[in-house]
Amino acid sequence: MKYVATVADESRLVTVTGADGRYRVALGDEVWEVDARLTAQGIYSLLIDGVSYVADVLDRDGACVVEVGGEWYEIGVEEQTRHIIRTRGGAAGGPGSRTLTAPLPGKISRVAVRPGEAVQAGDTLLVIEAMKMENEFKAAGAGTVAEVRVEAGQTVNAGDVLIVMT
Amino acid sequence: MKLKKLLVANRGEIAVRVIRACREAGIATVAVFSEADREALHVQMADEAYAIGPAPAIESYLVIDRIVQTARRAGADAVHPGYGFLSENAAFAEACAAAGLTFVGPPAAAMRQMGSKTAARTLARELGVPMVPGTLEVVASDAEAARVAGEIGYPVMLKAAMGGGGKGMRLVRRDADLAEALRAARAEAGAAFGDAAVYLERAIAEPRHVEIQILADTHGHVIHLGERECSIQRRHQKLIEECPSPLLDAVLRARMGDAACRLARAAGYVNAGTVEFLVDSERNFYFLEMNARLQVEHPVTEMVTGVDLVREQLRIAAGETLTLTQADVTWRGWAIECRVNAEDPFAGWLPSPGTITGLRAPSGPWVRDDSGAYEGYTIPRFYDTLLSKLIVWGADRAAACDRMARALAEYRVVGVRTTIPALTRIVAHPDFRAARLSTAFLERVLPDLRANDGRFASVAVIAAVLAEYERARQAAAAPPPADTTPSAWRAAGTRGWIRP
Repeated sequence: MKYVATVADESRLVTVTGADGRYRVALGDEVWEVDARLTAQGIYSLLIDGVSYVADVLDRDGACVVEVGGEWYEIGVEEQTRHIIRTRGGAAGGPGSRTLTAPLPGKISRVAVRPGEAVQAGDTLLVIEAMKMENEFKAAGAGTVAEVRVEAGQTVNAGDVLIVMT
Repeated sequence: MKLKKLLVANRGEIAVRVIRACREAGIATVAVFSEADREALHVQMADEAYAIGPAPAIESYLVIDRIVQTARRAGADAVHPGYGFLSENAAFAEACAAAGLTFVGPPAAAMRQMGSKTAARTLARELGVPMVPGTLEVVASDAEAARVAGEIGYPVMLKAAMGGGGKGMRLVRRDADLAEALRAARAEAGAAFGDAAVYLERAIAEPRHVEIQILADTHGHVIHLGERECSIQRRHQKLIEECPSPLLDAVLRARMGDAACRLARAAGYVNAGTVEFLVDSERNFYFLEMNARLQVEHPVTEMVTGVDLVREQLRIAAGETLTLTQADVTWRGWAIECRVNAEDPFAGWLPSPGTITGLRAPSGPWVRDDSGAYEGYTIPRFYDTLLSKLIVWGADRAAACDRMARALAEYRVVGVRTTIPALTRIVAHPDFRAARLSTAFLERVLPDLRANDGRFASVAVIAAVLAEYERARQAAAAPPPADTTPSAWRAAGTRGWIRP
């Protein structure tokens, strides 16, 4: 599973595999073998390369507050797909871009516009179902739909061009 | 006269502290609680417990008649007021006496004398105890305050005549700020003590706060148990206290102790009390005020003198003679106390009420945790933020500092934010280790008080991501019915509880 962890406005890609207390965690180009146990509500015992840490993890409205070694960190943890949708997908490529590409693989569940249609910023263009979530994609700016290259029910890959605007 | 059953007119950790002393002394205990405190620890620890009203203290813990009636109905023969609430309320002491209840504290007259800061200052002047220049009387008007401030010179400190705990205090640096500071101090004093009167005195730059613990029995014996230094404060709220003070030697201790005992004797003081002094950089001491009650920070004195102050209070109240003479009092090693408050030191020290979902208190050699909290406890928003007092003892100051750092690192509180990370940094600070203390210490180091230095960023990220990973895995493995079942994470606070 891939996550994006944000600490002090810096985002890092974190890949996790494993189960039942034993995990492999890739953080950037470093890979850690982590033995993690939930010893009490919110209190984790972590063994990382033999070093023992106790980390308090408090989930607060989507952001994690972690206390470890007497230090406090506020960490935003997002599943990578979610992160991509939130930071890239939702804005249909930004104001300068005239093309909406799929930021993630998924299935088109709805196309909300037709060629020739005028749209305003914030209008829904289409919806992609991915990770059991309906992800809405909105127009970043005003314009006219020139092409719609997908239809509902169609499976798309990341990078596929979905809609072209003029 | 032996005390048989005692009502504790307080809540939180101090109620627990008093109940413990009573149990050791074979005295039955009666707790009282507001509607917000039904699940508080003191209610669970007492032999009996009775509701005394709605959550706001003004409708429960401050209602004299109801507390006295509860004591009578429960068959109690004594009342311990703890600190705060009614502890320095002479009318309460009188109401207890009128109801035939032994009040574990000073007589009402002595409380009036010392409880009024201005009356206490007048007495101190008569006895020749040094004082910070200022008014002996409450300032009647803004004009008078401006005149006195002009005479003694800025900066000046405004203080509530009936005050304590930093409420109603304001530092004023210049004439232009005086009127607004007076207004704020009076409003705060009125709300906290029901008396808006304030007086003013010259503010000493970077002073140290040193207080003397005294014990006085009903047979005319008065002794002091040395000092506590309480210079680590934030907005006049003490955060770290220690015994002894790094500033004092035996000679200064004896002089300050003697001044404190003379004040207590002259006021007809009985039971445990504390005389507060400011000490300037030349080691001159100035009488500040007397606290006619047990202090929050009393445990550091207990750890160094080996005297159980609450037990002594109970003995004195029962009419017994002090078990110690002044010559019997010895000081061994060093004790430090840290106040664990439910506050967020990295977000303006805002109160952080809520449920403690995870709690692990430190232990091991010479570590004491005087707490009113437990895992699953919900901190009500109606009272002060003090959760627990962590006290350690060491053979010397360095050992005590090392031990405190160790104990703070063991202390885990999850669910609410606490002062622990700030305390950790203060105790590790070179100025603290070198005993370069002053009441301005915290303001001075606050800019350095960062939530983290990035040393454990990777570990923190791993912990946060694994928590999320496991949460997602468990949700996928056993999808809960969407409506009722809380997640395992959320269930912590209510596990094992049946709520109506």
